[in-house]
Amino acid sequence: MASDSEGKTFDRETLLDLVVNAIPLGIILFFILAFALINPFGSNPVNTAIQFSIMAVTGAALLVLTYVSGKAISEAEDELEEKGLELSEEAGAGEVAEPESEPTPETTDGDDEPAA
Amino acid sequence: MVGEQLALTALMGVFLVAVAGFLARMEDWRSYTPLAGGSAIGDAGYGGHAEKPAGIVRWFTTVDHKDIGILYGIYALIAFFWGGAAVLLMRAELAAPGFDIMQAQFYNSLLTSHGITMLFLFGTPIIAAFSNYFIPLLIGADDMAFPRINAIAFWLLPPGAILIWAGFFTAPLGLGIDPAQTSWTMYTPLSAEQANPGVDLMLLGLHLTGVSATMGAINFIATIFTERGDEVNWANLDIFSWTILTQSALILFAFPLLGSALIMLLLDRNFSTAFFAVEGGSPILWQHLFWFFGHPEVYILVLPPMGLVSWILPKFSGRKLFGFKFVVYSTLAIGVLSFGVWAHHMFSTGIDPRIRASFMAVSLAIAIPSAVKTFNWITTMWNGNLRLTAPMLFCIGFISNFVIGGITGVFLAAIPVDLVLHDTYYVVGHFHYIVMGMIAFAGMGALYYWFPIVTGRMYQRRLAKMHFWLSMIGTNITFFAMLVLGYLGMPRRYATYQFDGAIAPLAQVTTLHQIATVGAFIIGFAQLIWAWNMVQSWYEGPELDDADPWNLKDDGMFGREFQWFETQKLAADGGESEEVRADGGEVETDGGEATGRVSSDPRSDGGYRKAVRRVDDE
Repeated sequence: MASDSEGKTFDRETLLDLVVNAIPLGIILFFILAFALINPFGSNPVNTAIQFSIMAVTGAALLVLTYVSGKAISEAEDELEEKGLELSEEAGAGEVAEPESEPTPETTDGDDEPAA
Repeated sequence: MVGEQLALTALMGVFLVAVAGFLARMEDWRSYTPLAGGSAIGDAGYGGHAEKPAGIVRWFTTVDHKDIGILYGIYALIAFFWGGAAVLLMRAELAAPGFDIMQAQFYNSLLTSHGITMLFLFGTPIIAAFSNYFIPLLIGADDMAFPRINAIAFWLLPPGAILIWAGFFTAPLGLGIDPAQTSWTMYTPLSAEQANPGVDLMLLGLHLTGVSATMGAINFIATIFTERGDEVNWANLDIFSWTILTQSALILFAFPLLGSALIMLLLDRNFSTAFFAVEGGSPILWQHLFWFFGHPEVYILVLPPMGLVSWILPKFSGRKLFGFKFVVYSTLAIGVLSFGVWAHHMFSTGIDPRIRASFMAVSLAIAIPSAVKTFNWITTMWNGNLRLTAPMLFCIGFISNFVIGGITGVFLAAIPVDLVLHDTYYVVGHFHYIVMGMIAFAGMGALYYWFPIVTGRMYQRRLAKMHFWLSMIGTNITFFAMLVLGYLGMPRRYATYQFDGAIAPLAQVTTLHQIATVGAFIIGFAQLIWAWNMVQSWYEGPELDDADPWNLKDDGMFGREFQWFETQKLAADGGESEEVRADGGEVETDGGEATGRVSSDPRSDGGYRKAVRRVDDE
């Protein structure tokens, strides 16, 4: 079923990742509504059409790209999991990545200074 | 007479062939043998690089992505020094209100050259240097998808630069070809009506650089889509490749438009068309076309540096990039939104207020993905195990400068603020925090980070830190002073500022200009230190004994490019780790260091690691 695979592709975690792009979309939507409700400069067929199409086209393009990229990345993740490979940026390229170690909790005062 | 001329021509031909032959056989040209290159190892993956011709011919004929990356880098740095010299002359002129060391025409020429050089001849090529060298390594590709197109794209750039700078070379000859004085925006009607042929040459040069960038972008898109290694897919593609992919898409849509607009301008100038004439298509048409290219250009320049920082910063924070996918999605969001904000450069041109308001809305929206990245970088460092090496310092400086440069940009996105500050030094300060404080800083950080891979040696760390601190201090002195100058109403693009003290406080403006000039010279001095460090370390820096000069393995951060470097290095060393250790021991002794042991803990820097990091440790 297409809807099942859709649901699987856009699971909770993926949707959470995509929230980052929902914020600019929300801002654009806010302004579309605001300009529709508050219109101090009056309406003009050409200019009003341009006014709303700039926001709508940009917002729609963002929505489409977010959907396509979210789908591609989510499916690629599944593919990696099936192969049993790491999700890390460091993995791959034909080399065996080093085992991931836990980050050292303490913060030093920087520098890779040798212990004197 | 005719016979004489023929003989002279033939003689000159023979002479040129002799010079070409001599250059082709100069072995010194080959003194750089990339450890990482095909000629040294003979197994760089791409079969075509197994053997390279000797001499300068190697550099003219190379299609190896690493060689082309180096060519891009050298080209960009030559341009960086040209643009830097131009701006130091301008800052010297602005140290006092009157015309002191040059006339307005020469100032305008320098201003134009500085802007175009830094954006088109330094900014784009330095990014191409990193992407050419490292994208194939990061994605596990043998080379770029189209290696020869890659070479052609680079070789369009030198003629482009010569044409853009041509006026400076021809002006002293009295040919009537002077440097262009259009500013980098080339606003009409000014640029259409300047009779100087130097402007035409500059436009043709710009066109070449645009063609070059477009060819490069197509190549990167094809490479990242089709040449990835078996184990690299969209889920574990590194962040730098993501930003280059987005940048390439922006170039694909933006640069052809610039090319078209440039041709229209050339037609207006030379063939009496009226695309941008007041009585024709109107000068505002130029601004729309130019900024439809120009604003994405800002992100073309800034997204890859953001990718560099997102790649390098975690390495010295001891932990992975926080919210990796947030950064990926916000990069894509910036890419799309950047095409809906162009008219925020034109708020004061009298365009329809409804349309203006829409551009403000999208401009405010695009601030979000940029801010998301900033929070991700800060959170990556939070509680991390920070190591303040030179690349890391440049990354942190980048974030710090972006906070100021970015937030000042959000103010400018608001129409009422922009109408007050438009065309003042506030705008100059804002975008220089971005182009110098971010783009150049990320470039420097990446140069230091990857210096060991490219040269097989380590740079001198004390000089690198001096370079960072002087750059950081100079940048903030210069560009913060410019923000204040903008608040005082100082207009940009003027060679003088001898105005009535009743209009604006002349004494304060003069002082702030002098502060900015001092800051600019501090930045200039810092780059001299950097140049010395790079050249000397390339020739004399301590050779690496292992492929992990940054101890990335300790934190599980050993990236694909260093993994690749390790395989090359092992192949070069014959794969004998004991031998490496023995070599290291020798260097250790020579270095006169107190600890003469091989330590099991690399952080303690005993033993063979010392040889790698002798110069880089204080």
